[in-house]
Amino acid sequence: MAEVEETLKRIQTHKGVIGTIVVNAEGIPIRTTLDNSTTVQYAGLLHQLTMKARSTVRDLDPQNDLTFLRIRPKKHEIMVAPDKEYLLIVIQNPSE
Amino acid sequence: PIGQTSDELFSSQVHPVLFSAYKTVGFVFDENGKDVTPQPLYQPDPAAVMSKHSKIFASDTSGGTMSDFYSTAYQTTTNASFAGPFTRSVFGSSTVSRGSQSTMESMNEEIEDPSSKRDISISLSDVQVRREEVKELIKEEMLDDVVDRYLIESETLWLLHMPAVSVSVDSEEAESVKERNNLYMELCKNRMGNDKYVERSMQTFNGAPKTKEVQSEAITMVDAATTWDMYDSFRSAGLGEAALSPDTDKATSASSSRIEIEPFVVPSEDEPDPELVLQSEKFQQDLFVMERIILENIYQPKLAAYRQLPTLEDPDSVPKVVPTVVSRREESSLDEESTLTPALERLWSFSCELTSGHNVSSMAWNKRNPDLLAVGYGQFDFKDQKSGLICCWSLKNPTWPERVFTCESGVTTLDFSASNASQLAVGMHDGSIATYNVESREKTPVIDSSDCAHKHTSPVWQVRWIDHERGASGEDKGETLISVSADGRISKWFLRKGLDCIDLMKLKRTRNEKDKKQVGDKEKKSEALISRQAPGLCFDFHPTDSNIYIAGTEEGHIHKCSCSYNEQFLETYIAHKGPLYRITWSPFCSDVFLSCSSDWTIQLWRQDLFTPVLGFTSTQSAVYDVMWSPKWATVFGAVNEGRVEIWDLGASILDPTIVSLASPGVKLTSLLFATETDCILVGDSDGQVSIYQLKNLTVGEGTQVRQGFPTG
Repeated sequence: MAEVEETLKRIQTHKGVIGTIVVNAEGIPIRTTLDNSTTVQYAGLLHQLTMKARSTVRDLDPQNDLTFLRIRPKKHEIMVAPDKEYLLIVIQNPSE
Repeated sequence: PIGQTSDELFSSQVHPVLFSAYKTVGFVFDENGKDVTPQPLYQPDPAAVMSKHSKIFASDTSGGTMSDFYSTAYQTTTNASFAGPFTRSVFGSSTVSRGSQSTMESMNEEIEDPSSKRDISISLSDVQVRREEVKELIKEEMLDDVVDRYLIESETLWLLHMPAVSVSVDSEEAESVKERNNLYMELCKNRMGNDKYVERSMQTFNGAPKTKEVQSEAITMVDAATTWDMYDSFRSAGLGEAALSPDTDKATSASSSRIEIEPFVVPSEDEPDPELVLQSEKFQQDLFVMERIILENIYQPKLAAYRQLPTLEDPDSVPKVVPTVVSRREESSLDEESTLTPALERLWSFSCELTSGHNVSSMAWNKRNPDLLAVGYGQFDFKDQKSGLICCWSLKNPTWPERVFTCESGVTTLDFSASNASQLAVGMHDGSIATYNVESREKTPVIDSSDCAHKHTSPVWQVRWIDHERGASGEDKGETLISVSADGRISKWFLRKGLDCIDLMKLKRTRNEKDKKQVGDKEKKSEALISRQAPGLCFDFHPTDSNIYIAGTEEGHIHKCSCSYNEQFLETYIAHKGPLYRITWSPFCSDVFLSCSSDWTIQLWRQDLFTPVLGFTSTQSAVYDVMWSPKWATVFGAVNEGRVEIWDLGASILDPTIVSLASPGVKLTSLLFATETDCILVGDSDGQVSIYQLKNLTVGEGTQVRQGFPTG
């Protein structure tokens, strides 16, 4: 448990990381370093996108499943690790 | 007979209804006037229907439900088609009644009064018997028989018959209809004033409409079943009934594209549940991967340079401000000039707050996974000893080690096993040896030598896993762990109810004739009283012949020994004037080895010569580590206190080809070449392991090193 906290802290301190969000399946933030409204917005939108992405992957091959999702907007990069019970979201600006 | 009277009954009571209903059904006549009305194929028994009817009317109860009545009426309407021929020949044809009676018999077995009917005719009974016979003969064998089925048209079932109230002028009935109409009109005229014959109109009240509210469960709309949804349900159904309900719940939640999750599981307390998520293993795994991805984003150029891949330019990175561009241009022009000179380019360094302040004492690559590096931290001096540290770093994460092991005393040496790739042997400053399993997350060593009776009593300066091809004296041919320690013993360790060792060699002090003239002679004599053994500092096994090895001692002697003889040295090479820190065979040329010592020199030896072939000095500081390059035969690297040097013997034997200075205040302590790429790792006294890339090092192709070494 402590290791998890440590890893989360370390991720947050890496170069360029803007925010880290962990939400559970109902959209309730468990851990977040951004403010609440931003967190909820990210979580809601990314949840929809993740469901769509997962549906696409599985439609192509039902035995396959989505493990990771990276979105590269111009300003920064959003990385999502989806799961049935949670969503792990990290926003990083790699060219900082 | 009874049948006929009941027929009359039937006809008298039901007659008006049927007759009018039937009347307007057309008869079909062909050109000759023959009646070719298609006869229905099925002729149900009106008597049967009739008996039902009589039942209904006689019993005077509405026990028969409306549906029953309708069904019988239905049947009567089916019989309507007979009404024509039936009523026409109502008294005439007994054949019809016979047939109908027989069907009644066969259809309604529960009807009790067949006895009277049976008497009617013998042919009847024949028919009956035949029908019943047919029924009795159905047995098992008949089930397999191929039975022919005939599809025949059933008679027309009238569901709704709204007779027309107008007749075409051209039809035959027109005349009779007209006549009747006229008759009626006259009748009405005659009965003027009679209320019964006056035209009236009626109006039905339409009730006021009333809105009624209905409540139902929310109608859920889901997307059409997707391929994976069906796959999931199929799989979960196949997995067993017991797990069906939660699986179907999961399936429905997975298939819904809504964000809100159905509350089929409502947690009673919300607080423990989110935390549980954090503890799940999948989450830790995801965190792990996420961290690596973030770091890859940061370190991609460096890692790509390490692996000699082209670096990706970030297309969205903000272009630098103009002045710096100008200076970059200048730098690039400088670079063009300096592209020809070999240099070391610093890529990154492994360090974290755990390791800062610790002295890097040794590094070793994992034999199976070339991205995994084990670094041991410990002080060399006996003073200010801290607890030792072992970190396993992965190239994919330069900011945090994958594994951290703390040891009681400083770590002086470590080595990965080749046969068991996750086994790491560690030698420590207090003389103990331990092996760790880096795959597991346990912090404790797998095995420890502290219980061994023969354990080393002084710092272990080197351990190495050696693969013996021929087991000496019938021992197993696997890998064994060899260690050399400051108590002058080279020991071979093996597992036998715990770690145990036997001595391969005791390093005795050798007296050298030349040294007698030196002042140090007296000291040596007095030292001999303390211990007859010379502290061993390093050793290396021959790359091809695993029986031969060379060991260096604190006196500066190099001894060539064999595993078969543990009393005597094969050879002794004396040249160094100070403790030897490293000794290593050349991987390309099996007769050549290098040694470095604190007397500021590196010596190159050939196995058969007792004086070094070449000696290298560059600065006046002790050389801590030297290593041959695994790629080029003439290149080796050395690290002394203040700098890293790369020597290329093909280019120059007097000066190192590349020199890189250490940061001030930091001493460089160890060196390791990377096997696949042209990179070197340098560890320093501040706990940092820096990776440098060798750039522009053009080495001659020749691996024929002998040519370069003049004899004598």
